[in-house]
Parts: sequence; C-alpha cells; structure tokens
Amino acid sequence: MKNKIKEFTKNINKSELIMSIIIGLICIILVCTISIQFKTVEETNITDIENMREAELRTQISSWKTRYEETSKKLEENNNTINEYREKLNNDQETEELLDKELAETDLLVGKTDVKGEGVIVTLTDSEESTITSSDLLELVNELRYAGAEAISINDIRITNSSYIATVNATLIRIDLQRVTSPYVVKAIGNPTYLTSTLNLKDNGFIDKYKNSGKNITLSTERNIQILKNSRDMEIKYLREVEEQ
Amino acid sequence: MKKKQVWITLGLMCLILTMCIAIQIRTIGSTNSTVSQTLTDDSLRDEVLMWKERYDNALEELENSEKELTQIREEATQDNSDYISKEEQIRENNMLLGLTDVTGSGIIITLRDNSNVTADSLSALDSIDYYLVHDMDLRTIVNELKNAGAEAISINDQRIVQTTSITCEGVIIQVNGETVGSPFTIKAIGSTELLYGSLTRPGGYIEALENTGVIVEVKKADKIDINKFSGVINAQYMKTVQ
Repeated sequence: MKNKIKEFTKNINKSELIMSIIIGLICIILVCTISIQFKTVEETNITDIENMREAELRTQISSWKTRYEETSKKLEENNNTINEYREKLNNDQETEELLDKELAETDLLVGKTDVKGEGVIVTLTDSEESTITSSDLLELVNELRYAGAEAISINDIRITNSSYIATVNATLIRIDLQRVTSPYVVKAIGNPTYLTSTLNLKDNGFIDKYKNSGKNITLSTERNIQILKNSRDMEIKYLREVEEQ
Repeated sequence: MKKKQVWITLGLMCLILTMCIAIQIRTIGSTNSTVSQTLTDDSLRDEVLMWKERYDNALEELENSEKELTQIREEATQDNSDYISKEEQIRENNMLLGLTDVTGSGIIITLRDNSNVTADSLSALDSIDYYLVHDMDLRTIVNELKNAGAEAISINDQRIVQTTSITCEGVIIQVNGETVGSPFTIKAIGSTELLYGSLTRPGGYIEALENTGVIVEVKKADKIDINKFSGVINAQYMKTVQ
C-alpha cells in the first residue's frame, strides 16, 4: 500500500503539482471575493424608502396618509352597510332600500348616471400650425386622472374605464365608437385646486408643455360642471369572478 | 485520462465563480447607493413607514369587510328574484370597477428594457431611449387593449381602473402611485383572437416597439388571473344628477 502511494506521488510531475496548488489558491480567492460581494449586496439592498430625499419623503407621507384615510372611511361605510343588512334581514322593504342605495352608489362610480360637481374644463382647438392628436387627448386624460379626477368627458362622451381614444385613417379621432372633432372640450370633476395645479405645473405641466409646442389650449375652473352618463352597453363577456375557496 | 477530468472540473469551477462575481458587481452597480442620511430624514422615514403600515392594516380590514358584505348581501336577497337581480347588478358593477379578482382567457404581453445595450455601446445617431420601455408605451398599449375590447387589464399586478394614471418621474414609472419596473407584464382578459390580432398587427404599436429595440413577447393564454384594485374608488366631488 505504502509503496503504491510513493509510486503515485513520483508519477506526478512537479510542475503539475504547482499548477494544481495555484488553481486551488485562485479558487479560494474567488470564493472569498464572492462572499464579500454577497455581504456588500445585502448591506446595500435597502428598501426604496431609504434612498429618498426629504421632499420626496414628505410627499410619500401625505400620499400614504390620504390613502389610509380613504380606506378607513370606506371601511366604516362597509361596516355600517353590513350592520344595516343584518338588522333588516327579516324586513323585505328595508332590504330593498338598502340594495337600491348600494346599486345607485356603484352605478355612479361606473359612470352609468349623469353627474355634477366642481372641477375644470380644458379646451383644445386645432390651429393652423398644429392639430390636436388622439395621443394629446390620451395624455390629458392621464394627467387628469393623476390629479384625482372622478369623472371625465370629452365632447360630452363620458370616459369610463373601458373607454379608448383612437386615430382612424391617420386624421380622425374616435372615442369608443363616436367621432370627435375640434374644439375638444374636456370636462373633469374633482378637486379644482389639485386639477389646476397639476395641469399648470411650470414647464412640465400639461398646459405649458403643449402651449410651448404651439397647441391651442385653455383651462378654466368651474363651480358646477355636468357630465353625462356613458350610454354604451357595458357588457361583461369574458370576465369571471374568482371563486372564494 | 483522470487528470484531464480534474483539469476540466477545475476550469469549469473557475468559470462559474468568475461569472458569479461579475453578476454581483453588476447588481451593486445598479443599486443606487448614494444615501444621504440626516436625522430629520430618519424620522420622516419612520413616519412614511408608520402611515404605510396603518394603510396596509386598514386595507386588509377593508378586504375582509368587503367579503362579509358580499356574503350578507347574498343572504339578505336569496329568496326574492327581484333582489337577486339587483344583487347581481351590484356584483357586475364591482367587476367593471375592478374591485373583484377575475379570471378568463386573453393575452399576456411582456415588455423588457434591452439590457444588451448601454449608452457607451451606441453610435452617436442612436439613443438609449429607444431600448427602454417608457410610460407612454404602457399608456398606448393599455389604450390599444381597451380598443380591442379588453375587460380587465393589469400591469405588474397593478389593476387598471378608471382612476389609474401611468406616470413617470425621472426614470421611475408609477401605476396607481406604485412603482413598477422592467420587465413589464401586461395581462388582459377578453377575446384572445381579437386582442392578439389587434395588438400584433403589422404596423401596430407592438411591432414599432420591437423595431426600435425593446424586447417584446406576446402570448395567448386560456386562463389568466387578474387581481383586484387594492385601493378605494370614491365619489367625493361628483354627485348624481337627480
């Protein structure tokens, strides 16, 4: 046995032995580097929150606070409705009233009723130097939603969740199935202060950006705006509710 | 023969280890590690976390109450056909609003920033902008999906509802106020053929995106689950006209 080992070591060339040792060393160094790297990554893997600056943090606080308040309010409403249903479980007429109330509320949110409220009216008009495109309108709707608009219409067509704005034959603008033409009167109900300040942001706001590119655009704040309901049939064909386990 | 195998194994090990290191260095490079921490920032950070936690808790409670409400509504209406139809309409409205988890057939679009391209590897006429996904791309695709009759859409699990805005500040894209990043997975439920055909049509937006350099994948699926909107849709400013 011993002889065999001796024979084996003899057989290994000296230079090969050195090579193996070198490779072994390289491996050890590489492993060390990797473990150091992993540690560094772990340390730098801090949440987004830790990378924010003061102003950003303040907006974050107010945004979470608003969301919290909205959620708690809705929670309270839900709990009240649950209690009312429970109390009226044996009274048919009152149950129906409650159902009608809930139905009316969701109809309002979906856009199945005419609504009114305060907000802004933005008017976009084609001019000689520049025509309004469907993507201009799409951008405006997105900005209005960002500023918390609750109901939006363009030339009295209510923009619902399923609405789309398309260009047909490169020039015509169509919303849902109806054609719209300049002037485009965009009405939005919501907090007028938020709406105007978002649109009026210097340089990067919608108004400045589009005025600078030569588009014809006006903004006015209104106390009483009426927005018509969406008259389209909102049919559900492909969606199914996920059953609760 | 045996020696050869040992050499090959060692070589392979070295290769794998080197690759690991390269990946690690890239990860570190991409995380923004310039953190300027001051005391006020720390307390503000705590406050952000506090409000976020309170919101998360309230949201969880809200979800439970919604389940309970659906249940008791069903219970209260079960023996009157007139009530049942109203109960169904409320359910349908909630589906339209995006307040329920839904499932159905449709398509899944994946948009990916082209990571093979860096600002240095481009010619002067080219721009890195062509290889990245922008908020505008997402808005356009959502609009096209709606045009093709999509009944429910989500981007990286953020449900598109009627109050949804897709915005961009600096390089951060936000949907519903939540940050989303590449890869963007856009799910849409509707007629699979119509959605697929309309989105992938020659000269369509997807094709244009692909041509500029963004990595795009569109596939059909028989069963897509889309989560509900995790937030509140309310009417503080609008009232029904009587």
